[in-house]
Amino acid sequence: MPIPELEKSIIKGVIQKDKVVIDGIELDGTWNSFMIERTQTGYDPSVWDEIANTLEGVTISACWQCGTCTSGCTMREYDPKYGPRRFIDLARKGDKQGLIELQNSIWRCVSCQKCTHRCPKGVLVEEVVHAIHNYLLRHGLVSKDPGTVFDELFFETVMNNGGRISELMLGAASVKKGMAKMGLKDLITMTGPLLRSGLFKELMKPSKVKNWEKIREVIEEAMKEEVRPE
Amino acid sequence: MSVEVPYGKVALYPGCALDGMAKPYEVSLALVAKDLGLTYERLDDYNCCGALEVKNVNTMAGLLLPARNLALARKIGADAIMSACPGCHYSLSRAQYYLSKYPKLREKVNAYLEKMGEIKYDLQLMTIHVNEFLYNSVGIEVIKSKVKRPLTGLKVAPYYGCLYNRPKPYTLTGYLRLKDDPERPVFMDKLLEALGAEVVPFEAKTMCCGGPHVYSDPDVSINLEARILKEARRNGAEILVVDCPLGGVAIESNMNKIAERYGEDLRMPVVYFTQLMAFAFGHSPEEAMLTANLTNPMSVLKRYL
Repeated sequence: MPIPELEKSIIKGVIQKDKVVIDGIELDGTWNSFMIERTQTGYDPSVWDEIANTLEGVTISACWQCGTCTSGCTMREYDPKYGPRRFIDLARKGDKQGLIELQNSIWRCVSCQKCTHRCPKGVLVEEVVHAIHNYLLRHGLVSKDPGTVFDELFFETVMNNGGRISELMLGAASVKKGMAKMGLKDLITMTGPLLRSGLFKELMKPSKVKNWEKIREVIEEAMKEEVRPE
Repeated sequence: MSVEVPYGKVALYPGCALDGMAKPYEVSLALVAKDLGLTYERLDDYNCCGALEVKNVNTMAGLLLPARNLALARKIGADAIMSACPGCHYSLSRAQYYLSKYPKLREKVNAYLEKMGEIKYDLQLMTIHVNEFLYNSVGIEVIKSKVKRPLTGLKVAPYYGCLYNRPKPYTLTGYLRLKDDPERPVFMDKLLEALGAEVVPFEAKTMCCGGPHVYSDPDVSINLEARILKEARRNGAEILVVDCPLGGVAIESNMNKIAERYGEDLRMPVVYFTQLMAFAFGHSPEEAMLTANLTNPMSVLKRYL
């Protein structure tokens, strides 16, 4: 783990020397090699700034590190590495490596909103966690996770089907992508009542927004815009 | 007959859910509202609210989708926009929060809304959920007086889901008297008690069902859903009553897998609270679409016929 920010300058001053004498004993060889890497590449203060400049991430600066978010987190019960407080801590320190090591955890937020709801400092924790995750994705530091694949699939389905979505369409798209498995038994349980009530037909062909093509164009144009919290 | 409601004119935002598998929710809501003399106007040309997914793909798209719906509601002169799906309620409230807080962002969003041919959004809406609407509008005594088929002895577990009252910066729970308790909601409990049902102690009321990751992290979702059902079963509930189509559909469609992994005794019918209200108000199971649910609620309700 990288060393705290405050100690960085002290240690930097020491490790830049080729030769160090401590208590009359000269240290030589590769004494500083393990420290150089950690002190010089471990932190990137621009991470905090960049996240605080996004709409979702702006409240990161208000965090007190009290841990209220993590103590009530739904996901933490399944994944002990999952901790919103820690993600925020690492992002503010600029410890990219630490965040990358948690890449199999950080995407797993189920958006239950308990953290944002309970934060005593008004940090929108769920949004900040997504902002941190988006930072990692945007800079290509982590590979695309199943949650992001599904988010994109959802959005694509909305855009391509007249601005609306149906559970069956989304289910079918997910099965196609290999995300969900549907057995015969599930199929029978699902379709039986739907066929009986006539809902099935509507689900396979959801109604569309009247002027969707034009609206879609505007949304696609708007997506290119950079949004800042102002 | 029309009843004065504390919200002014109410627009119903159906969301994709009510036009999809949660159609019984809307059909039964219409029956209940008519019986109680409550009116609302349906936004027919709505678009998807973006749910919990679009905001993660693109910030602007995640705001424009709900913002267009808010503008549609203002176009018909509504004072409040009502969602039946807590996911939609969350998403519309989230857009309201961001647009109120950041003026430059609001200008940009409004410019795009005008490009779409919609009106600018003036922030004058209150975002509400069906649960709050039914509870606050007429009072429990009126609801009791409409019951023709008392559900005496029916043991129910009311499941509210995550987003009905969370997070408070968006939904304003705990800040307004018209809103439910932020941690332990009771509005649906009171409505169900008015029908004569017995609400069992249920600590999983606002527990997460794993909704957004039902496909991408299925084992976690199934385990979370099983926990909700276990909690209901342990407290003696016969039926899970939901106000959330996300949770309702997720639990219903995963029921086979839950039963396989965590025990057959967890199998339990799932029903929308408005369906139970319509049924108690004397409507037939077909009218309340109680036969369209994937799990069979009539298996426990037939004794009241």
